[in-house]
Amino acid sequence: MFAYIVRRMFQSVIVLLVVGLVAFSMFRFVGDPIDNMLGQERTQADIERLRTELGLDQPFPVQYFKFLQGAVQGNFGVSYRQGRPVSTIIAERAPATLELAFVSGFLAITLGIALGVFTAIRRQGVAANVIMTISLIGVSLPTFLIGILLIYIFSVELDLLPSFGRGETVKIGNWSTGFLTASGLKALILPAITLGLYQMTLIMRLVRSEMLEVMRADYVRFARARGLSDRVINFRHALKNTLVPVITITGLQLGSIIAFAIITETVFQWPGVGLLFINAIQFVDIPVMAAYLMLISVMFVTINLIVDLLYYAIDPRLRVDARAT
Amino acid sequence: MTLRKSAIGLALLAATGVQAAEFKWASTTDPQTMDPHAVNSAPVLGFLNNVYEGLVRRDKDMSVEPALAVSWEPIGDGEGWRFNLREGVTFHDGSGFDAQDVLFSYQRASGEAADTRSWFAPISEVKVIDDYTVDFMTTAPNPLFPSSIANWMIMDQGWTEANDATVPDKETGNYATLNANGTGAFKVTTREPGLRTVLEPFGDWWGEAEHNITSAEFTPIQNPATAVAALLSGDVDMINPVPIQDVARLQGNDEVEIIQGIEARVIMLGFDHQAETLKYTDDAGKPNPFRDPRVRKAVAQAVNVDAIMSTIMRGNAEAASQLVSPAMSGYSAAHANRPAYDVEAAKALLAEAGYADGFSFGLKCPNDRYLNDEAVCQAVVSMLAQIGVTAELDAMPVRNYWPELREDNYDMYLLGWSPGTFDAEHPVRFLVATPNEEKKLGSWNFGGFSNARVDELLPAIQSELDETKRQAMLDEVTQIIQDEQVYVPMYVQPLVWGTRSNVDLTQRPDNFFLLRWVTVN
Repeated sequence: MFAYIVRRMFQSVIVLLVVGLVAFSMFRFVGDPIDNMLGQERTQADIERLRTELGLDQPFPVQYFKFLQGAVQGNFGVSYRQGRPVSTIIAERAPATLELAFVSGFLAITLGIALGVFTAIRRQGVAANVIMTISLIGVSLPTFLIGILLIYIFSVELDLLPSFGRGETVKIGNWSTGFLTASGLKALILPAITLGLYQMTLIMRLVRSEMLEVMRADYVRFARARGLSDRVINFRHALKNTLVPVITITGLQLGSIIAFAIITETVFQWPGVGLLFINAIQFVDIPVMAAYLMLISVMFVTINLIVDLLYYAIDPRLRVDARAT
Repeated sequence: MTLRKSAIGLALLAATGVQAAEFKWASTTDPQTMDPHAVNSAPVLGFLNNVYEGLVRRDKDMSVEPALAVSWEPIGDGEGWRFNLREGVTFHDGSGFDAQDVLFSYQRASGEAADTRSWFAPISEVKVIDDYTVDFMTTAPNPLFPSSIANWMIMDQGWTEANDATVPDKETGNYATLNANGTGAFKVTTREPGLRTVLEPFGDWWGEAEHNITSAEFTPIQNPATAVAALLSGDVDMINPVPIQDVARLQGNDEVEIIQGIEARVIMLGFDHQAETLKYTDDAGKPNPFRDPRVRKAVAQAVNVDAIMSTIMRGNAEAASQLVSPAMSGYSAAHANRPAYDVEAAKALLAEAGYADGFSFGLKCPNDRYLNDEAVCQAVVSMLAQIGVTAELDAMPVRNYWPELREDNYDMYLLGWSPGTFDAEHPVRFLVATPNEEKKLGSWNFGGFSNARVDELLPAIQSELDETKRQAMLDEVTQIIQDEQVYVPMYVQPLVWGTRSNVDLTQRPDNFFLLRWVTVN
C-alpha cells in the first residue's frame, strides 16, 4: 500500500513537470503581453525595456525553470495585469469556484444517484421515461447555451434570480462565502444548475445502466429468492455494487467541474478562478495562466490518486490482488 | 455597510431634495490599475477621470475647460505655459492641493517608469512660481500643450510618498495600484480588481454636483450576452458597449435605452510601403504592388464603405475621409470627400499600374480589437475580389496581431486610430511621419511610409501658435496623405451604450463615462 502511494506520487510529479513544460512552450503562441501593458504612445525602446524586465526575451526553458524555482517556494510571480502576487489573486478567487463546484457537485451526485436508482427500478414507469427524455437535454446542450437560457428565463423574463455575479459575500478569515446571505444563495442557483446538469445526467445514466446490469445478476435473484425486502436488495446489494464505476467517473467529473467551470463562470460573470484564467488568456497574463494550469493539474492528479485509493476501500478484490503480488 | 449607505442617501436626499440613487454599471474591461500614471489606456484613464483630476478637463463636447487650474496663458513668445491653480481644493484624504503636488505629479508622470511620459516630451522644465502658480517651459512653442494634458491627473505628494508609491509600478504594483486619492467628484471606497469597484461622492469636492448618485458600483462583464441580460433584468443600470447585433432588439424594449454616438476612432487599411516584394499567397516574391499609389487608390475606390456601414455596422458608423473624424480639432474640412466607390475606375487604375490581371496578397486583421473587425475584413476581401484582386485573410486575436505588424508580416492590414490629443496632428505624428526611434516619431507607421514634406511640416505644425497657419499646414499634410493614399480610411467607429430608461447621462466621443453627469430618475 505504502509503496503503491509512493509510486503514484512519483508519477504525479512527472505528470506535473510535463504539463508545465507543455504550457510554457505554448505561451509564445498565445500572444505578446507587452502591447497590452503599454499604451498607444509607447516606443520600441519601451517595448524592449519591458520585455527584458519581465524576462520574456529569454528562451522558454529558462522561463520555465525560473517559474519552477519560484513555484516550489510557493511564489507564482506577479500578475501582469493586476500587478499583484498571483498566489494572492488565486486565493481570493478560489472560494467562489470551490463553492460553486461544491454545490453543483453535491446536486449532481445526490440527484444523479437518486434519479438513476429510481429510473432503474421503475424503468417502465411514465415518470422514469420523462426523466430519461429530459436528461437528454442535459447531455446534449452545450453549457453556455443552458446558462444563457436559464438567465433569460429566470432573470430577464421572470426577474426571480440575479443574472450575474455572486451577490453579497461574507468574509470568514480569508474565505469569502456566499452561503450566508440571501443574495449569495440566490446567485448560486443558476450557475450551480448550469455547471452540474451535465454531470448529473451523466451520473444518473451511469447508475441506471449499472443498476439494470446488477439487477439481472444471479446474487440479486438469490437474494430475492431468500425473501429479502426490495429496499435491502436495491440499496444494500445492488446499489453498492454499481458504485465502483460511478466513483471513478464522479471523481474525474469533480475535477472537471472545477476545471470546466470556466465556461459557466464566463456566462455568469462568476468571480472564480475560471474567469480569472479566461481574462489571463485575453491579456496574455503568463504568470496567472501558468499558476492556474499547474493548480488544475495538481488537482486532477490528486483526485485520481484519491479515486485509486477509494477502489481499495470499496472493492475487496483489489486488496486480495495487492497482497498476492 | 448598507446602513451607512442609506444614511448618506437620506442625508443627501434631505440636503438637495433630488431623489438619490445607487448606480451600477458594467463594461467589458476592468481598469487594470488605479494608478493614473502607470497605464495610458482608455479603460484606465476613463475610469480614473471620475476619481482624479487634471489641471484642465474636457467638457461634454470635448472642449477643454478649467479643472484644478482656473486659468492658463502662454509665457512670452511661446516659451511655455503658466497655470494658475485653484485654491481651496482638497484631496480625498483631506490634504490640501497646491503647486508642489503639480510638480510632483509632473515628475511622477514623466518619469522612465510612467506610461504617460510621451505627454511631456515638449517640456524642458517645470517651475513653481508660488503656491498656486506653475510654469511649464517648452523646448519649442507648443499651442496644444494645455489640451494635451487633459488626462494628466494630479496626485497628492504627501499621500503618494507616505505610501511608497513615488514611482508608478505596473510590473509588480504598489499602493497606488489598488488605492486612489484624487481631488475628483468620486472617491474609491472598495477596490476588488476584476470583480468590482465601488465609488462614493466626495463631499468636499470643489465643484457643484450635477448627479444624484449616492454610490456607484462598477463590475466588469466580459460576455456581451451576459451584459445585455444584466441590463434587461435591471441588475445593472448601464452597459458599455452594447453588441451591434443586439441594438435593434434593445431599441424595441421600453425599459432600456440605446445611446449612440461616434467614437474618435477611425478604422483604416494600411499598406507595406517599403517591402520590395509581396510576402503571402502564390504571388509571394513578386514585386509589391502597394508601393504604387495608383494601386492604393484602386483599393480605396473598390471598398464600398457605405455597404460596410449599413450591413456590418447596421447603420451606426460614419464614413471617414481622413485619419481623424470631423469632431477633432485640425480636421481638414477641405478634404472631406473620400474616393467614390467605383469598381470600373478602380480596375482602370490597376490596369494603368500594370496589374490588369490583378494579383493576390495577404491581409492581416485583428478579430477582437475593433467592433466586428473580422467581418469588416471579410467584406473588404470580397469587395477587392470584384476588381480582380485576391486577398487571403488572416484574422487573429489582438495579442498576436501587434507583434505580427511589428515584424512586417503583412501585405495589407487593418488599423484603428483614436487620437489621444483629439487633434489631427496626433495621427500624423504616429502613423505618417517617417519612423524615427530617437525622436519618437512614426512609432505606429508599420508600413514605413516616408514623405519629406510631411516630416518638414510636422514640427512646424507642433509649434505654430496661429490657428489659421496651423490649419493650412494640416490641410497640406491631409492633401499629401490623400494624394498618396497612404492609408484607406473607411469609417469612424460607432459608440453604443445601453442604459435603463430612467437614467440620464452624457456620452463623450472618447468613450469616457463620467459619473458626475449621471442622474437616475
